[in-house]
Amino acid sequence: MPNVVACFKWVVDEAYIRRGAGGTLDFSSVDYKIGEYDRNAIEEAVRLRDSGGGGSVIGVTVGVPESAKGVKDGLSRGMDQAFFAADAAFRDLEPSQTAAILAEIIRTRIPQYDLITCGEGSSDLYTQQVGPRLAELLGIPCVCFVQKLSLEGGKLRAERRVEDGVEVVEAPLPSLVTVLPDINTPRIPGVKDTLMAGKKPVTNLKKEELAGSFEGVLKTEAMTASSMERTGEKLAADAAGIARFVDSLRKSGVIR
Amino acid sequence: MAGVWIIGETREQALELQGGGRSLAPDMGAALTAIVRKEAGLPDEYISCGADEVLLLPALQPDQPFGAFLPVIEQEAKTVSPDLILFMATARGKEMAARLAARLNCGLCSSCTALAFDKGSGAVVMERMAYGGAAIQKLTSSARPVIVTVPPRSFEPARPMDGRQGKVRELPSPPPSTVRIIERKPKEKVAKDITEARVIVCAGRGFDKKEDLALARELADALVGELGATRPLTEEVHWLPEDLCIGLSGVQVKPELYVGLGVSGQVQHMTGVRGAKVVCAVNRDENAPIFPLCDFGIVGNLYDVVPKIIEELKK
Repeated sequence: MPNVVACFKWVVDEAYIRRGAGGTLDFSSVDYKIGEYDRNAIEEAVRLRDSGGGGSVIGVTVGVPESAKGVKDGLSRGMDQAFFAADAAFRDLEPSQTAAILAEIIRTRIPQYDLITCGEGSSDLYTQQVGPRLAELLGIPCVCFVQKLSLEGGKLRAERRVEDGVEVVEAPLPSLVTVLPDINTPRIPGVKDTLMAGKKPVTNLKKEELAGSFEGVLKTEAMTASSMERTGEKLAADAAGIARFVDSLRKSGVIR
Repeated sequence: MAGVWIIGETREQALELQGGGRSLAPDMGAALTAIVRKEAGLPDEYISCGADEVLLLPALQPDQPFGAFLPVIEQEAKTVSPDLILFMATARGKEMAARLAARLNCGLCSSCTALAFDKGSGAVVMERMAYGGAAIQKLTSSARPVIVTVPPRSFEPARPMDGRQGKVRELPSPPPSTVRIIERKPKEKVAKDITEARVIVCAGRGFDKKEDLALARELADALVGELGATRPLTEEVHWLPEDLCIGLSGVQVKPELYVGLGVSGQVQHMTGVRGAKVVCAVNRDENAPIFPLCDFGIVGNLYDVVPKIIEELKK
């Protein structure tokens, strides 16, 4: 009956970010989502609970108060309860800060847990740091980039994907894992799941309720839109279009 | 004396990182230290390639992962206090870098795409991609050290120079690790390395079934190129091996020609083809995001268009 902590982040959906004047980022029409990889982390926590004959899944997230929608979204994916560190100061945190806040919540509010699951990275910054940093702050073992996971007899067994193959590892519980997207297929919450999510317990925590200053060390000097735009000549799928297409490639010198 | 450290799992990684470290260390007034596994080559080579000091990591027990070295490296970093630590942004490198950063309570720039030392301000200036590649984040650190992971092939490997001298020291063996390797499954090399391909034909979700990828292969053959894939094809339906996945979480490619077939043009994927000379697309959705991000795009059904392109190429 494992108790699993699932960490997740409510992020800007990058598909809606536009390039503004002078190379700025235009967030005016963005929507938000649960990080893509965090969905796998939640799903894996829920799967381990359900296959382990009970236990619970506790979601933990950090963000600005507007991220409350993300907490409900997370709960609709099968978590039992959530801790939400919500503070206006928790905007644009760097990974060391996020990890420190998560560690403080888990240390002081979640007395017993067997496993912490994180995505391999967040969908927005994708620094891939928060999971391993969190494990270090809690002083527990850490296995990153896991594609297959099981719990048995107070240990975890994980397949970790590395550049030269797969390492099958064992670690004592409690441990932390970061999961790859192909570890499972995240569920798509239905109407009933969303309704039930509204009834699940959520503990909101303000900055002053957490011990720690959570200072960062990195400074973002600039965040600019990257330019991937090209000439974008659209051609029709007719004979003239295809002839022009192949001719253009020949003239560019890319076909030998 | 200030220090730049490079930490490599293999000889190739170490020499590449030394190439990067050597370009920064002189301006920083720093010595270059290579931390390498004892079995990964001879210390003299690292010294002739620019290292002022080589710290050797002793052999691990068979069940110990690379991360077992963490306490040894942490101890050395706390004693010596380097300014900058470079790791390769591989699975093991990224994990070790983040754990070390937590232990040293310092900043880490992950998957750094540009790294420079600003003499005026005395700061290491780092750039990386954010929001799936839609943005470039420029970072500095107010604390030392600062740790950086760089993707493979970011730097030219350091080359030997004459008359170099340096010190060699062996680091202590690490304590037993809590994470134990019980089995290693080496990767079966099924896919070609597409990072060096001159032409890449990339298959996307526009293909209806696996067998239809033969069409993409046929075009790749006609263009004397290799086949690549978007993430859904390698991670969701598993039609192609993961080595062929192009994008932020896959490989970054820089071919002369990239042709996306049925590729929608998600930013995470297109970031991986940023270095291509010419980007082309065939997609039946005229509003697909790939069109403004390509040089030439055909709006049409790939099943209809690709055979015609192959025919035209034969002319």
